[in-house]
Amino acid sequence: MKILAIDTSCDETSVAITEGTRILSNKISSQIEFHKKWGGVVPSIARTMHQENIEYVVKEALRGAKTELEDLDAVAVTQGPGLAIALEVGIRKAKEISVQIGKPLIAINHMEGHIYSTLAQNKSGNPKITYEFPLLALLVSGGHTELVLMKDHGNYKIIGRTLDDAVGEAYDKVARMLELGYPGGPIIEKLAKEGNQDAFPFPIPMMKTRSCDFSYSGLKTSVLYLTQKVLTEGLTKTEKKKIIIDVAASFQKSAIESLVRKTQIALEDLGEEFEIKDIILAGGVSANLALRKEFRKVFAENYRLHYPTNKKLYGDNAAMIGVAAYHHLEKDDFTQPIDLERLPNLSL
Amino acid sequence: MQNMLKVVKTSDTSAEEIINQASQVLISGGLVIFPTETVYGIGALATEQKAIDKLLSYKTRREGKPLSIAVDSIQMAEEYVEVNDTARNLYENFLPGPITVVSKGKHKVANGVESESGTLGVRIPDYELVRDIVKKIGKPMTATSANASYKKKPYTIDDILNNLSDKQKNLIDLIIDAGTLPKREPSTVVDTTGGGETVLRQGDVRLTKVRETLTESGEQTQELGRELIQKYKHYLGYKSVVLALEGELGAGKTEFTKGVARELGIKEPVLSPTFIVEKEYRIETTEGSYAGEKKPMLYHLDTWRMTEVEPEFEALGLLDRVSEGHVFSIEWADRATEFLEKISDTAIIVWIKIEHTDKENERKITISDFTKK
Repeated sequence: MKILAIDTSCDETSVAITEGTRILSNKISSQIEFHKKWGGVVPSIARTMHQENIEYVVKEALRGAKTELEDLDAVAVTQGPGLAIALEVGIRKAKEISVQIGKPLIAINHMEGHIYSTLAQNKSGNPKITYEFPLLALLVSGGHTELVLMKDHGNYKIIGRTLDDAVGEAYDKVARMLELGYPGGPIIEKLAKEGNQDAFPFPIPMMKTRSCDFSYSGLKTSVLYLTQKVLTEGLTKTEKKKIIIDVAASFQKSAIESLVRKTQIALEDLGEEFEIKDIILAGGVSANLALRKEFRKVFAENYRLHYPTNKKLYGDNAAMIGVAAYHHLEKDDFTQPIDLERLPNLSL
Repeated sequence: MQNMLKVVKTSDTSAEEIINQASQVLISGGLVIFPTETVYGIGALATEQKAIDKLLSYKTRREGKPLSIAVDSIQMAEEYVEVNDTARNLYENFLPGPITVVSKGKHKVANGVESESGTLGVRIPDYELVRDIVKKIGKPMTATSANASYKKKPYTIDDILNNLSDKQKNLIDLIIDAGTLPKREPSTVVDTTGGGETVLRQGDVRLTKVRETLTESGEQTQELGRELIQKYKHYLGYKSVVLALEGELGAGKTEFTKGVARELGIKEPVLSPTFIVEKEYRIETTEGSYAGEKKPMLYHLDTWRMTEVEPEFEALGLLDRVSEGHVFSIEWADRATEFLEKISDTAIIVWIKIEHTDKENERKITISDFTKK
């Protein structure tokens, strides 16, 4: 059962062909060598860019999977959450293909896609992964930070989420304060490795409450105050660099600590009712090795940890949408093209 | 008697034809009922005594209440009133629009138009047809509301006619029928004769000056956002309100917007739009002219991640949406000045600057909703 999946939730125009949980192709606009006509990838977030891309990315995905439109069994598309005007482009294309080939349409929640990125396999069907329900998923990205209880395929309950900024956004903003450019996640992670994480004791967000919610706005502001205080004029280059890597390390410690502690609280609370054995860590920020290391250290003994199964599955991509759609396909959970609308604020 | 009334409908008559008919009636001293961006008004040539007398017998029981006049430009206004700095500021920033600016009159209008103390209210309606009629006759006409005094605010021709005696109906020479007008308050009346502005009647436009507030917590910043949008809720569906937020990282721009959302009845959590660039929320308040029909939205935007703001805003289709009467909260708006300049005539732009002070949780918030930036 082959699915063509589309994700245009934010920056990336992505199209994938999947079969069951196997990925046959997974094309992401920023990673494609574009035809010369476009002169490379123009950094643009809004609709026009998706519109210019979509046709080409669909072709690339089909070509990469050596698949014809006629071979498909269904079309899946991200319905939300995301940027309204970007979502529209993917949805329109998905409807068009679904009608053209007379195959059903499946609407997918982007966050559900992130969860299924941990179940995705390569062409030959590796790795072989199974979940045991109920499980706990921590989804961390530039736009989201949420803890989700998953009782079964398609059965989700959000038990904690950020009240302001997402953790990935905090990374980006701290990077900007330290004049490290955008996106900030990878560079902070890299610098933090060399820094002293106890140099500046930043508060661990939301520790006064036992709720499973997150907040990164206050941490961001603390880092701002500190950098203004310590990054003064007249520092030597070496002194400045030392401070920057120490701030990066101290910030990262605090950010990760809050993710770990909130996950612990969620497990404790849920433990009264459920026996949880599996934890999923997915979304762009799950690529952070320090975060995974900490997760392994704290949870690996008692839980099975699942991460996205390859590099291209951390950030936004369509393959995860296709894998998620497979479980809907099995249940004949389809949407009529006429009923499918973008839902920019969709929640699990 | 009603069948004798001369009615032209804007739906089936050309603007040119309406302007011609109306100006002929006005020049010959007649009374014209016309639509505006607020309520239906009744016009008489302000410089013609016979016309004003006719109007005063139509508007019963006024006892010395002054009339106001409609002009097509600040230049025409200056022929009839003294435009001081305060008044000029209002003309330049708010007109055309639902504001009547009261100034010292130059006694160039018929008796009974200026107040007993010699002041005169002037309006430039945000309604092209009306301005074109005034332009055609080259002189101001009265812009008082078309109801007989103390009766229902007139949003339809029936609202007017159902409350008139036959004698009053006979005084009307022409009715320009534009159907049901959106239910907006009559214009805000502002007296500028004392140098500052004194609001005599509060309509949809609220006047405030640049003001600074210190907040000591995120909650207080939210509260300020809530209070601010409360004053502008009447514009929903009619004119877009753009909250242009400036402030460093961590200043509290999203906090401010959270307060705005709460006042607009939005229950969903308002989270930072930085990554997603734009978030949208359906406004769940019943206030505003078209609320419920046009489905006004809160659009929460953030330019932080954009390499170039102008083309992104264009691609997001913001220009079209601004004409529909929504609320826009734009973080890092100082990067979008080109766009804001473009919409400054169609939308109400309020600048909100949030600054850190020496105290850690304290913020200085400067709101400028009186002058354009």
